[in-house]
Amino acid sequence: MRRIVPLLALIVYAAVSLYPFVWMVSGAFKDRLEILEGGHLIPRRPTLDTLADTWSRLHFFDYFLNSLQVTGLTVLGVLVVYSLAGYAFAMIEFPGRRVVFWFFVALLFVPSITVLLPLTILENKLGILGTHAGLILPFVNGTAPLAVLMLTNAFRAIPLDLHDAATADGAGEWRIFWRVYLPLARPTLITIGVLTAVPTWNEYVLTRVSLNDESRYTLPLALERLASGTVPSYNEIMAGSLILVVPVIVLFLALQRYFVNGLSGAVKN
Amino acid sequence: MAVTTDSSVAARLVREPRRTTRSRQRGRRALVGYAFIAPAVVLFLVMGLYTLVYSFGLSFAKWNGFSPSWDWVGLDNYRDLLYADPRLAPEIRGAALNTGIAMVAVSFGTVLIALPLATLLNSITRLRGTLRSIFFLPYVTAGIAVYYAWRYVLEPDGAVNLALRAVGLGSLARPQGFLADPDTALATLIVIMIWGSVPVAMLLYLAGLQAIDPAVIEAAALDGAGAVRRLRHITWPLLVPITVAIVLLGLRDTMQGFQIFLIMTNGGPAGHTDVLGLKAYQQAFFQSLSPTLGVASALGWLIFLAALLLAVVNARLLRGQR
Repeated sequence: MRRIVPLLALIVYAAVSLYPFVWMVSGAFKDRLEILEGGHLIPRRPTLDTLADTWSRLHFFDYFLNSLQVTGLTVLGVLVVYSLAGYAFAMIEFPGRRVVFWFFVALLFVPSITVLLPLTILENKLGILGTHAGLILPFVNGTAPLAVLMLTNAFRAIPLDLHDAATADGAGEWRIFWRVYLPLARPTLITIGVLTAVPTWNEYVLTRVSLNDESRYTLPLALERLASGTVPSYNEIMAGSLILVVPVIVLFLALQRYFVNGLSGAVKN
Repeated sequence: MAVTTDSSVAARLVREPRRTTRSRQRGRRALVGYAFIAPAVVLFLVMGLYTLVYSFGLSFAKWNGFSPSWDWVGLDNYRDLLYADPRLAPEIRGAALNTGIAMVAVSFGTVLIALPLATLLNSITRLRGTLRSIFFLPYVTAGIAVYYAWRYVLEPDGAVNLALRAVGLGSLARPQGFLADPDTALATLIVIMIWGSVPVAMLLYLAGLQAIDPAVIEAAALDGAGAVRRLRHITWPLLVPITVAIVLLGLRDTMQGFQIFLIMTNGGPAGHTDVLGLKAYQQAFFQSLSPTLGVASALGWLIFLAALLLAVVNARLLRGQR
C-alpha cells in the first residue's frame, strides 16, 4: 500500500499533464465530420488525411521550414555572440567589464511588453520589420541575460592553468577561446541552445505583430491564421498543433539531461 | 595653446619611459576584450537600450504612429491610466486586479501542487525518469499549440464538459464553455497557467530534495525525531529558499506574460480576463489611427516599474535568508 499510493497519485498527475496532448492527437486523427460529433477520445474512423492535408495543402511544410530557419539562426546567433562576450567577461581584463556585465544581467528585468512597441517602430525604420532577421535579432538579444550569465560562469569554471599554458605556447586570446575554451564549454553551449530553441520555436507575440507576408509565417502564426479562419475546424487546428509540438518534444526527450541541468542552474542564478 | 601642447608633450615624454611593456600589453588585451563583447553590446544598444529610451520618451507624448511628430503631453498618459480617463482608468484598474489575482493564485497554486509532487517523485525509484519527462511536457510545449488544445477540450461540447456530465457532475459543466462563462474564465486560465508552471517548480523542489544528505535524516531518526519533526526541522528549512524563488518566479512570469490571455480569451468575456500586458498590447497595436502609442508606452513602463519593485523585494528576501 505505502508504495502503491504515491505511484498512483503520480500517475494521476501524469494523466493531467498529458490531458490536452491526448486530445490533440485524438483530434488530429479525426476527419471533418467526426470532429463535429465531438465527445469521444478514440477516433472511430482514424485517418491520416487531416495531418497530410495540413502538412501539404495548408503549406505547413513551408511554415515548418520557416520555423526551423528562425529557430536555428537564433540559436546560432546566441551561441556565437554570447560565447564571445562570456569569454571576455570571464577571462579578459578591460575597463568597464563589471558595469557592462551587469547591464546585460539587468536586461532580465525588462518585460517584453515594454519594448515590443518601440521594437516594431525601430525595425520599421531599419526596414527589417516583417523579415526573419527582424525576429532573429530581438530573439538573440532577449536571451542575453541567461546566456551571458551561464557562459561567463562556465568559462570561469575552467582551470586558469589551461589559459596560462596556452599563452606560454604563444597562443592569442582568439585561439585560446576557439581551440581550448569553447570545446570545454560544450555542455553549457548545448544547454543554452535548447533553452533558446524551445521558446523561440513557440514564440507568437512578436511574430504576430511583425510578419505580414504569408510566405514568411512560422508555425505559431500559421496555426493562428488557421484557427481564425471563417470556418475553423478543430481537426485541422489539432493537426497543426501536433506538427508544432512534436519537434520540441523530440528535442526535449533527446537533450533532457542538458535541459534539466540548465533550468536548475538558470533559476539559481 | 602652444604652451599646453608643449607641456602635454613633455608630460608624455616623462611618462613614456615609465610605461612598461606590461601596461601596453594590458591596453592591447583590453582592446581584444572590447572586440569580443562588441557584437553583444551593439545588439544590446540597438535592440535593448534604444527601445527602452524610445518608449520612455514616447510615454510622455501622444502619437498614432503615422503623423510626423509627437504631441508632448507631460504626465498625462500616466494620469489617464491611473485615474483621469473616465473610460480607460477603470479598465486598467480591472485589468490590474485580474493580474494581481492571477499572480497570487498561480504562484501559490504552483507551490501547492509542485511540492507534494516532487516529494512523491523523490520517494519512488521505479518510473521516476519517465514520470519526470511526462510532467515536463507542459513546459516545453508552452505556447499557442497547447492553448488551442485546451480551448478544444474546454468548448461547450468539449471533453471537459462531457467528462463532468459522464461522472454525474453535470452541475459543474459550463454549457457556454469554460472560457466564455464570466464566472469561470479567469479561474480556468489560472488553472492552465498553474499546469504550465508546475514542471519547473517540481524540478527545483526535486533538486532541493535530492541535495539533502540522507545521513542527516537518518541521524535525526536515530535521535528519536519523528517524521513530522524531521520534515519541519530538516527538510522544510532547506526548501524555503526554493519556495521563495518559485513564488517570485511565478509572480514575475504571470505579471509579464499575457500570451495565454491573448490566445485563449483576448480579455473576454466582457473584460473578465483582461490583464495589464494584454491592455498594453491592445493599446499599442489595435487602435488603428488613434494616438494611443504614448499611453501604451506609459503602461509598458508601469509594468516595468512593478517588475523592478518585485526584483527589489526578491533581492531583499534573498539577502534576509543568507
